[in-house]
Amino acid sequence: MRIGFLLFILACASMGFAQMRVVSGKVVNDVNEPLGFAKISSKSPKGNALTANDGFFSIQMKDTASATLTISIYGYQTQEVVVGPGDQNVTLIMKPEFSDKKEITVIGYGEAKNKTITGATSKVDGEDIEKMNMARMDQALQGQMAGVNISTNSGSPGGSANIRIRGLGTFGDNDPLILVDGIVYDSQGLNALNPSDIKSITVLKDAMAGIYGVRAANGVVLIETKNGSINRKPTIEYNGYFGLQETSKKLDLLRADEYAVIKNEMFAMGGQAMPFDNVNVGKGTDWQDQVFTRSPVQSHNVSLNGGTLNTRYSIGLGYFNQDGIVGGSKSHFDRYNARLNFSTDLSDKLKLNSVLLFSTEGRNTLPENGIGSVLYNAINAFPTEPVISPMGNYSYMEEVSDIINPVAQIMNTYNWNQAQKFVGKEEFVYKPLSYLTVTNRFNYNVSLVDSKVFSPLVWYGDGKYANTALNAQLESPTVELTPGFEIDRGAAIYEERNTFSDLSYEGFANYDQVFKTDHQVKATAGVTIFQRDGKSLNGVAYGVPNNDVNYADISANTTQGGYLNNTGSWEFTERLVSVFMRAEYGFKEKYLVSMVVRRDGSSKFGPNSRFGTFPSMSAGWLISEEKFFKFKPIDLCKLRVSYGISGNDQIPNFAYRALLNGEGVYVFDDVITQGVAIGRPANPDLKWETTRQLNIGLDLSFWKKLSVTTNYFIKNTYDLLFQPDVSALMGSYGPGGYPPVINAGNVSNKGWEIELGYRSDRTKDFLYEANWNFTAVNNKVTAVPTGVDYLPGAAFSVGGDVATRFQKGYEIGYFFGYQTAGIYQSQEEIDNAAVVQEGAKPGDLIFVDQDGDGVISFTDDSDKTYLGSAIPDFTMGFNLSGSYKGFDISANFYASIGNEIIRNYERQQPYANQMSYVIDRWVGSESSFDVPRQTTEPTRNNVFSSFYVEDGSFLRLRNLQIGYAFSKDWLRKIKMEQLRVYVAANNLLTLTRYMGYDPDLGSTSALSAGVDYGLYPQAKTVMVGLQFKF
Amino acid sequence: MKNIKRLLILGLVLAGIFSCKKFLTVDPPYTQDAENYFKTPEDYDRALVGAYDLLQTSFMSLWIGEIASDNAIAGGESANDSQGLHQIDAMNHGGVNNDLRSVFRWNYVGISRANYILENKDNIDFPEKAHILAEAKFLRAYYYFELVKFFGDVPLVIDKRLGIEEVRTIDRSPKADVYAQIEKDLKEAYPVLNPVAGQKGRATKGAAQALLGKVYLYQSKWTEADDMFDDVIASGLYSLHPSYTELFDVAHENNTETVFDIQYSGLEGGGYGCLVCLEGNAAPGFQGIRQYNGPVYGDGNSYNLPTQDLYNFFPAGDPRRAATILDIEAFIAAQPNPSAITYAIGAGGHTGYYNNKYIKRQGEIGLPDNDLTSPVNYRVIRYADVLLMSAEANYHLGNTAIAQTYVNQIRSRVSIPGVSVNSLDKIYNERRFELSGEGHRFFDLVRTGKAATAIPGFISGKHEVFPIPQVEIDLAGGRWPQNPGY
Repeated sequence: MRIGFLLFILACASMGFAQMRVVSGKVVNDVNEPLGFAKISSKSPKGNALTANDGFFSIQMKDTASATLTISIYGYQTQEVVVGPGDQNVTLIMKPEFSDKKEITVIGYGEAKNKTITGATSKVDGEDIEKMNMARMDQALQGQMAGVNISTNSGSPGGSANIRIRGLGTFGDNDPLILVDGIVYDSQGLNALNPSDIKSITVLKDAMAGIYGVRAANGVVLIETKNGSINRKPTIEYNGYFGLQETSKKLDLLRADEYAVIKNEMFAMGGQAMPFDNVNVGKGTDWQDQVFTRSPVQSHNVSLNGGTLNTRYSIGLGYFNQDGIVGGSKSHFDRYNARLNFSTDLSDKLKLNSVLLFSTEGRNTLPENGIGSVLYNAINAFPTEPVISPMGNYSYMEEVSDIINPVAQIMNTYNWNQAQKFVGKEEFVYKPLSYLTVTNRFNYNVSLVDSKVFSPLVWYGDGKYANTALNAQLESPTVELTPGFEIDRGAAIYEERNTFSDLSYEGFANYDQVFKTDHQVKATAGVTIFQRDGKSLNGVAYGVPNNDVNYADISANTTQGGYLNNTGSWEFTERLVSVFMRAEYGFKEKYLVSMVVRRDGSSKFGPNSRFGTFPSMSAGWLISEEKFFKFKPIDLCKLRVSYGISGNDQIPNFAYRALLNGEGVYVFDDVITQGVAIGRPANPDLKWETTRQLNIGLDLSFWKKLSVTTNYFIKNTYDLLFQPDVSALMGSYGPGGYPPVINAGNVSNKGWEIELGYRSDRTKDFLYEANWNFTAVNNKVTAVPTGVDYLPGAAFSVGGDVATRFQKGYEIGYFFGYQTAGIYQSQEEIDNAAVVQEGAKPGDLIFVDQDGDGVISFTDDSDKTYLGSAIPDFTMGFNLSGSYKGFDISANFYASIGNEIIRNYERQQPYANQMSYVIDRWVGSESSFDVPRQTTEPTRNNVFSSFYVEDGSFLRLRNLQIGYAFSKDWLRKIKMEQLRVYVAANNLLTLTRYMGYDPDLGSTSALSAGVDYGLYPQAKTVMVGLQFKF
Repeated sequence: MKNIKRLLILGLVLAGIFSCKKFLTVDPPYTQDAENYFKTPEDYDRALVGAYDLLQTSFMSLWIGEIASDNAIAGGESANDSQGLHQIDAMNHGGVNNDLRSVFRWNYVGISRANYILENKDNIDFPEKAHILAEAKFLRAYYYFELVKFFGDVPLVIDKRLGIEEVRTIDRSPKADVYAQIEKDLKEAYPVLNPVAGQKGRATKGAAQALLGKVYLYQSKWTEADDMFDDVIASGLYSLHPSYTELFDVAHENNTETVFDIQYSGLEGGGYGCLVCLEGNAAPGFQGIRQYNGPVYGDGNSYNLPTQDLYNFFPAGDPRRAATILDIEAFIAAQPNPSAITYAIGAGGHTGYYNNKYIKRQGEIGLPDNDLTSPVNYRVIRYADVLLMSAEANYHLGNTAIAQTYVNQIRSRVSIPGVSVNSLDKIYNERRFELSGEGHRFFDLVRTGKAATAIPGFISGKHEVFPIPQVEIDLAGGRWPQNPGY
């Protein structure tokens, strides 16, 4: 600001000898309102002025001939006005700008005009993210872009989602590289980012991402946060909503009386005494009603944006608070955000961009998504049991040791997680020449993560795995340290502090010059140095006084001498050093070529393969620019091709060396004695995974209204980094032992992407926009390590078989088990069957003899087969929005078609509650053709078979919003720019045949995708919101 | 100004490139590296603790040794819970069996940890080194003996660690070679080992000699076996514990009858996710009474349930029956308030009997999950076993009188009349009376050629050994032949 003013004075002073005059005037808009903060620049003499709030300005100009003034202001078209020699007082009328924000796209260490981009990118604007009213930016991305698939790991507050770009490339980490204003951001930590702070999200899907080299194989997501703009008056915006959430679904479980009848039948069939003398027990307890609750969510964001002649700023404050639909405040997330985005011209050639994002988030969680989770217990708890028994305790349900009272479980669960994050950069952009820009930036990303878990003494009934007390009186277990010296363990508190710190430097130069009007040459070259440090310190202490959460801190522990208390820690450092170059050439914006090469050195890899080089190239042809192209309706037709090599370095640190971090513990003299053991054998040849990707794309635009983008890609990943089974002879399967990490196995993803966008003319009252995107990816494992037939994935049921696999010729994590073919209706049918199925009785599932040997083999895999996969055949997103005068409406749909889900939340145990489909069980000849008989005797009906696999296709109305914006005329009277109210709903409607809670079922691990352990479903939320600006 | 800046940038770029290699060599902080170890006596000792660790996987050998025999059925929650054990029970096990794979894997972990020490035996010298190396050899012999009992011919890896490629070049060694290596290790170990353990749980001279005697016995080398057992008996360090019923409780562990026990502790919790990580013995909890709610015992998972055949085998007057087998209904009926005692029957099978030697008892319950963390030691070799093995060797050598003395020494401990040992079967029967429920039965039946008659479904020429896990054959390059019949 001050510097700018000085420059202005200097500019004036330097012209001291010329004959000068002062031109003054006023800048107004099309309805004759004065515009402040407009920038008036004059070329000769060089000078700038800014209009005051009343629109008036004055500027020095040469006295002589006519001169040109350039007037620019945020939100209006920049215009040039010729001021004649005699003009002293001018009125300048500005026309509003309907800027096409989609013109420019960030592409990594630079920007490019959309028209000249030769790679496959997709972009979403911040408004579209914000409009979804989701807690996390990635959730809001679902269905927005072709080729970008989002699945939800958990619907709990603060739960995470997965971003998968163009299919699953690896068995390991499939997370893309995420950069926020150029700073590396952890994809699992996206909770910290406020969706309201985002200006745009660009996804680099193909070889264009190659500029990020060894980290680019899973695609790159570039997030830009909001910034101010020069010549803009300060505006304050508020955007907030309040909503109520409830579960989008409850499972259809047996009522108590149905349960009693079926259990009696099961036990009788198994030749055991029937457990219920009286089956007239009414509806009983609906455990789902006991754990699900209606809970609030709210979000408030305030931002201040503006700019002067050479400074621009954007400041944001945010608050978000959400309670869970299971357990209310026990499943909670809140977040505070502060953002500062500030840039200023230090001189006319040097600019400083400074970004600081601060967040603090708090989260409480309940056990979820697995055996022992609250929902798993609620599904399997006995409906005949009351929540609280007549004795006054939470009912025990002692017949099954791993089902505990879910209401008691919620009460007894205490944990806290607090994460503070500072992310930012100081960026110096030096522009010595009009065609050269040199950027130096220093980035930081520091997070402090504190967590605490309090485990009180609890008693869920005899034999329950979750008991920490000895009995219902909550007596503490004692530990005998030496003979005769016993101490009480008591309640335990675990605390952990993890610190992560990324520091990086990036320096690069951008060159951009046009020769002889037709030849555009662009080049970028740079270097980056990156270091990440992580540290953890943790401790557990026993004997929390009074078994009381109010004393849940290590400092309050009362164990004698602290003998039981324990501490732990770890630390790591990783480094990455890179150089990169990009060269682009364009002829008349008609023929375009681009080449990228990056060389990376990473501390993660073995000394034999520490450095890698990643080249890529792309080309584009704007056919519509050719003279022969005379087809009027098409205003843009561009053909693109790209091919490139990139890497994935996401493996554990030091995986290439053999460390003594295994577990070697034995008992001597009754004392647990620590020794050492090798954790993981060494592999000095360890290197990154390599992805080679070909992309062919066609962009079309019709009548400047309808845009069509299509891509076809072949993405092959080689040398997958993973830990396959290795021979027992390597000794890797001891305590704390792991197989070595090796490079083996290949995966191929081929697919189509289509994005259609239509926007009506702006001139009409009724405006509407429609976007549709479509993604089909064909995923296939093309090689597995030598000697390995497949890699086992997730297990089915308790102690059951492996149900998912990584195997050549199939999708990653496909389902593998027995195919069923109905139900044996009679003994006669079994006796006459061509296939011998050992132990089969009438009412049992018929399995298909896959190998044709006439026998169903239960001791090996010969009769198991492909039963589906969690990877959809295709996904679609559909966004509609329209406005008429003040009213607006928008809807966002997402569909996933052709994916399967394994129903794995049923505890296959005689007393466990069941889904109501068992009412239609087989009870005698012809009584059922799909649900087997219910019995406690051993059967093969509960081995993993197609009976447990369901179609997981769904169509979901993700967001529906209806708003009303008050008219500008009226708002002007109360000095406001904008005022809008809206009602909105998330997940209002889901069409699916899937029986479980939520078909949108993600998993961080590619091999357990599609296995439903009783997923915490996403909430159905109804919200009212308010936005205003002044 | 411009030039200075350019130079600065160029300098940064160059510095970045040239100092790269050093910058990228990051040593793991505060962690010892496998190649940079064995520098102090403590390093050796700590590596040895790691080699002992795998002994604690004994529960699987115990189960299979009983379930494969006529002594017990698999039990458990359902036929799908621990399928591997159910298949072994039914004698329809094949190359795909997780439990057999665990045995194969765990013992090779033990071997590789012992090999890691022996590979580095010459790094430094210190007085205690000889004893440490002798313990490592004892452990390697123990693990190889487990493997040869289960699988017959197995690959021999000695004094080295294998790389990923090297694994595919190793063949199965003939059983005789494996036995020769076991004998060599034990013969080198026992003269060095202390007769009385410096620390409870350490391998002793007697343990090594008794194990070597057993190894000879399995090869019908009666004279050599007899020599070893004679040494153990003559050492005077061992005697039969007066009370048979006390033998398997925690309070009387490591008594004069203990030749070698695997030590466990209940002081560290554990989870089902990693049974190999446990410091407690998983067998008593797994073998406990399902959903049991009553006195004396704790609840468990109803694995490894004794058969009616075993129950009937005992003469009514033999007190070892009650000490070996818990008859649950009889036990409940004898309690003061039987109707208050409840338990459940697992769909994996029920006989009404539980293994009363290794069972979860109140007062012997470890930390959660206490099904997994019993402090009860596993008795690898008891003095009673030494006497019976010696009796067997002596009988073969024609010294029936000595055999009879030893057998009757065992019987008189439980106050039952002596027998005349006029056939090998008398000794074999005594082994079953004395040692049932301890994991020896299947291997005894195979060793003595009685398996085919005793075990339904047992096919001679096939079931004497278990199949090598198919996946292990594949992972080793597919070059190993499978055991015959599988």
